Amino acid sequence: MSGVREAQDRAAQWIVAREEPGWSDEDQAAFDAWLAASDLHRVAWLRLDEGWRQTGRIRALGAPGMPPAEFTPLVYRTSKRRWLFPASIAASLMVVVGLNWNNAPVSETMAGYHTPVGGHRQLALADGSKVELNTASSARAALDTDRREIWLDRGEAFFDIAHDPSRPFIVHAGSREITVLGTKFSVRRDGERVTVSVLEGRVRIDEVSGPGIGRSTTITGGDIAVAQGEATLVTAKSDQRVEGALAWREGILSFDQIPLEDIAAEFNRYNRKRLIIDGAEAAEIRIGGTFPLSKPRAFASLLRDAYGLRVEETDDAIKISH
Amino acid sequence: MVDQSALDDWFRREVLPLERSLARFVQRNWRVKEEVMDLVHDIYVLAFSGARANMPANTRQYLFTVARNHLINRAKRARIVSFDLVADLETMDRHSDLFDTERHLSAREALRRVQAGLEKLPPRVREIVWLRKVEGLNVRETAERLGIGKDAVNHQVMMGMKALTDHMLGGAGKIIRRRSAAPPKEADQ
Repeated sequence: MSGVREAQDRAAQWIVAREEPGWSDEDQAAFDAWLAASDLHRVAWLRLDEGWRQTGRIRALGAPGMPPAEFTPLVYRTSKRRWLFPASIAASLMVVVGLNWNNAPVSETMAGYHTPVGGHRQLALADGSKVELNTASSARAALDTDRREIWLDRGEAFFDIAHDPSRPFIVHAGSREITVLGTKFSVRRDGERVTVSVLEGRVRIDEVSGPGIGRSTTITGGDIAVAQGEATLVTAKSDQRVEGALAWREGILSFDQIPLEDIAAEFNRYNRKRLIIDGAEAAEIRIGGTFPLSKPRAFASLLRDAYGLRVEETDDAIKISH
Repeated sequence: MVDQSALDDWFRREVLPLERSLARFVQRNWRVKEEVMDLVHDIYVLAFSGARANMPANTRQYLFTVARNHLINRAKRARIVSFDLVADLETMDRHSDLFDTERHLSAREALRRVQAGLEKLPPRVREIVWLRKVEGLNVRETAERLGIGKDAVNHQVMMGMKALTDHMLGGAGKIIRRRSAAPPKEADQ
């Protein structure tokens, strides 16, 4: 039967076309008509579509030891972006997105910094400290002779603080003040909640407002403290968690069996196209892995391929349902 | 009548994983190698339309019965095939293929298979598959990233898709270039 080759080619064209933006109702009708015209069309399409879907597994690389050394020689070096293919699986999907570093020294006077949704900005302070602002964040900095201060007004920032015992470095984040001498850590604000993740060294978290005023908690490298209202919860010694919490610096979101609903909220911090999870059943699916934070669409197609969820995309949102 | 989406689902889940065995079976019983993939598709079509009326209880048994009958019919019609083959088919020990244990691949094994399939692709095709599947780039974005035309991206995605499907379902996974796509011979003189 010579029609097989043609049916395959046509099926492949449909599969590619359906993945493109702007797939219309008319396109769908034409496609349905083509499928209905012959069972050969249908089986050729089912077969290729299934094969192509399974190809999507390369995104899902969830198993240790997987990402192949063989990928290393791929010719991405020629592209503008830098690609990393580290041997460890956790990093398998790491894509270092092109970030606009701003290394201009910051003046000693009070200065304000902002990032838009999806933004990522690195600031070099005059004392040698570095600050990276994550998506949708605002901060102000003031460096004095006896102290160094930053106000994190919203969002999240990573701090790599130059050691200087004579000038403590203080981060003001809502009801908490984080004081360090020299260390690496991040501070994130979600409304009332303040999360401090320490990569290296030691930081002190003081309550500066509310009934618990004056109380303080000290945490060290590998610890994460979540402070809300009067409560400060410390997750002790989890380097992996801290690494996950800081993965945004590489343009990655890292999750360890987190409900889909929470993952969607994370993606939505970074992208204007919102991921919307429809229905409790889908919202509760737990997912682990690392994903490029600027690619909600790729994440959504993974959900479709690996979990069989429905994905509907509009101009400003991607809706996921069971 | 079986519902269309149930039928599609059955085909993906139960029939396609048998492709490796089916292709081997056809190959063993058919001399013309180039026709194996066409025959496999013929068998799919027959199995698919048959299942529409009545979903088979045992997919493997059903598929191989369809395959066997189809090969016999084709052999009789073709005449070029010796009747010995037909006789063999008619008396063949059906059970030898029917109870071939077909394992479902674990996710890890399936992933390895995808990777092995990717390794066999030409670098450019592999790169395009990667950009689309992992980076989620669409055709236009892929074309821009690589500085090539959209038609070239489309063409190579389709090649990659077909080769990967062949590989994953058990075939050769080689890029099949069409004869007509060969460069024209230089004119004499």
